[in-house]
Amino acid sequence: MNPELAPSLIHFFGMMLLIASFWILASPQIGTCIRAYATHSFLLALITAVIAVTNHIEHLLIPALLTLVLKTIVIPHVFFRIIRRLGIRKEVESYINIPFSLLLAVLLVFVSFYVTGDGKILKPVAFSEFIPLAISTVFFGMLMMTTRKKAINQVLGLLLIENGLFLMAVTMTFGMPLLVEMGIFFDVLVAVMIMGLFVFKIRDAFESIDADDMTVLKG
Amino acid sequence: MLWMPLIFAFLCLTPCPKRMTRLTFTTGAILSAIGAWLFVFQTPWAPCVFAFGGNLMMDSLSAVFVLLIVTVGVLSALYANGYLFRESDSGISPLRLRRYAFFFHLFLFTMLLTVLSNNLGVMWIAIEGTTLASAFLVNVDDKKSSIEAAWKYLILCSVGIALALFGIILVYYSAIAQAAAGEGGLLLNWTFLLSHAKQLDSQVLRLAFIFILVGYGTKAGLAPFHSWLPDAHSQAPAPVSALLSGVLLSCATLGILRFHILTTAATGSAFSGTLLILFGVFSVAVATPFILEQKDYKRLLAYSSVEHMGLAAAGLGFGGALGIYGALLHIVNHAFTKSLLFFSSGHLLHLFQTKEIGKVKGIFRKNPFLGIVFFLGALAIAGMPPFSIFVSEFLVLSAGFLAGKFVPCALLLILLALVFVGFLRHANQMTFGVPEGPPAAEKNFLMDGVLGIGLIVIFVMGFYIPSPFQRLLLEAGRVAGGAVL
Repeated sequence: MNPELAPSLIHFFGMMLLIASFWILASPQIGTCIRAYATHSFLLALITAVIAVTNHIEHLLIPALLTLVLKTIVIPHVFFRIIRRLGIRKEVESYINIPFSLLLAVLLVFVSFYVTGDGKILKPVAFSEFIPLAISTVFFGMLMMTTRKKAINQVLGLLLIENGLFLMAVTMTFGMPLLVEMGIFFDVLVAVMIMGLFVFKIRDAFESIDADDMTVLKG
Repeated sequence: MLWMPLIFAFLCLTPCPKRMTRLTFTTGAILSAIGAWLFVFQTPWAPCVFAFGGNLMMDSLSAVFVLLIVTVGVLSALYANGYLFRESDSGISPLRLRRYAFFFHLFLFTMLLTVLSNNLGVMWIAIEGTTLASAFLVNVDDKKSSIEAAWKYLILCSVGIALALFGIILVYYSAIAQAAAGEGGLLLNWTFLLSHAKQLDSQVLRLAFIFILVGYGTKAGLAPFHSWLPDAHSQAPAPVSALLSGVLLSCATLGILRFHILTTAATGSAFSGTLLILFGVFSVAVATPFILEQKDYKRLLAYSSVEHMGLAAAGLGFGGALGIYGALLHIVNHAFTKSLLFFSSGHLLHLFQTKEIGKVKGIFRKNPFLGIVFFLGALAIAGMPPFSIFVSEFLVLSAGFLAGKFVPCALLLILLALVFVGFLRHANQMTFGVPEGPPAAEKNFLMDGVLGIGLIVIFVMGFYIPSPFQRLLLEAGRVAGGAVL
């Protein structure tokens, strides 16, 4: 690959990644959210692959491939099956409206650029502009988990956090050791399955999957 | 040794009659425990043995926790044998029981993996595994409240643990920045990191420790990240509550301890210790009002776990050989005492069909044996002298005074006194008085036996710690303190 091309490609993908994160937050329908998540993961896989190729770190290709297969195909597929069986078509319900959550998201991006800006503590091995991107992805995930009502959105938020951490690991350390990386993938997959099962249980018991209906336990 | 619970987990899953599942389930737990005991005391492992290319390791620190896990595991398997399988006569389907048995063993397996892993990444995976495996154990009966508890538990702990992963990435980053090429696979190994601790970037490690503390602290039930804990513990069936409270919290604490040792070695300062003391005292402070004003006895016990974990964290933070030894002993004692109490809460629930403290009266009249066990257990957990908890609380506090941390110690003393009063009031009210309804006749020797064993253990540990175990604890304290001193 031509040395000029790789950095600009990376920058382009990084920009797209940020756009995809915004897309997840902005989309009013769960289906679109999931598609946006798939896109997000797809871009993540591309970034990982490009970093792997340009820096000749072959073992990083395996996580890239796994991201491609698991997070862009398998997990969204699982999600679509869940929402089809739950029969949700409605909008994403949120405690705050979408424009406001986008505003918050922009603020979070600024915050993450600000806190990592001086580069004193963290000197990444790959591309430094990904650190704030990763952190803002983690922030977005948290924002999603705290503001959305549906249980399924909380799972999506968790996955978004995980994507952010993955990006962090790739850019700061060229990925964790392979064994650990595989284990994390396995855990994420199992977590999605189990949470999916629980979403059904919640639906059966509470007749909705609004997390704010769950107020039995206090004190 | 490690594979035993895993094998039995799948054995339990095989479709067979209820009686058979019950047998496999119990033998599995007993065999794993025997295997682990033999392994710990027979293998010449000092100071540590490695397996799987250094990814797994056992030193004296993990040995203590392995013993703890399998022993409490066996007790709670025996108890579950009476508890759940008795309930099963009236409703729980064989499929559900099989699933329960499966996840029970899986849970044991992931906890063993947690304490035995040397690779910090593997440890993270195992801790996340414990969350996933135990979520189903919390929700055995599919009631509204238990689903809610399990969901909270899953989500909160997963987020917490994601933060811990961030910390681990930071540690790995600091290692990679310093290390020579070709050591890639070793870089996350705790032993390797510890021996190269001086070269690690102390700034990054401090940052990492904060994330780890928040992440694993969620799992260990340190305030203010404890909010899942009372829910999960009160909704889970008694044997599971015992496991969650007794050993799961301890495992997460071990995770924090490993990073504490590492951070202290790398930064050469009391940074992580101070943080631990801060969070520890805060946990005790948060738990105290909830204990005083609690209406549900299982939640009462859960908040008491928060309190004791806070105390253990503070002990680790005080440091010094005494503090660490005391904290480890405290973790062990707490595990036994709290499982005993949770087991007796299972009896109570069966006897009174309610979890409300106000509706439980006169346990002693209704079932003298249970009354004695529950009352003594409550005294023990509150820190009454003849029992083991008192000894370790005393050690922790004296370590604190030795370290010159007078303010946190004074705070802890006041809070502990308050907790003592609260426990005594609740226990008194529940144990004595005139019950409604006739004395209960039903007996289950296995379950009563488990209670008896637990009572003897906590009583004896107050006076005398068996010498091999004592050696192990001292050694563990040295491993943990070696870097500190």
